[in-house]
Amino acid sequence: MSFFGAGTQQRGPAGAPDQARLGEAAMELEAVSDLFNRIVSSCHAKCISTRYAEPEINKGEGVCIDRCVAKYFSANEKVQERLQNAQKQGGGVGGL
Amino acid sequence: MKDFMALYQNLVERCFNNCCNDFTSKALSTKEEFCINSCSDKFLKHSERVGLRFAEQNAEMMARGAQR
Repeated sequence: MSFFGAGTQQRGPAGAPDQARLGEAAMELEAVSDLFNRIVSSCHAKCISTRYAEPEINKGEGVCIDRCVAKYFSANEKVQERLQNAQKQGGGVGGL
Repeated sequence: MKDFMALYQNLVERCFNNCCNDFTSKALSTKEEFCINSCSDKFLKHSERVGLRFAEQNAEMMARGAQR
């Protein structure tokens, strides 16, 4: 999965960006936005105490959040690998 | 705009579900008010911190991808 520009941008004959590339970029933006929202939600559930005793994030919660985000990304990568391997071996996951 | 509205509604629901459990009165008690304030502030700060780490992790991932 490339997040914003892990490749060169291709241009049409008149120098205008390719419509397909625009569509891809829009999809990628939505994917990143979705990923961000999921991370916020998951890490909040895992790290923030629901007692809400104070309006600040304490040190423990802060450290938890940092680690949570890093782990989520790693998990994301692992699942991506597995999925790609499964697709290569199975020849497609139900027409995906 | 749509994202902001979703965030706002989500936050209200989250804080309400967590903080408002006493329906012996119509008005918010001071405890509930404090809880809601803490809840919103905390969530926004949490979101901000996640954003920072997200950007860092994203940059790292792209750098790793470029190296391969």
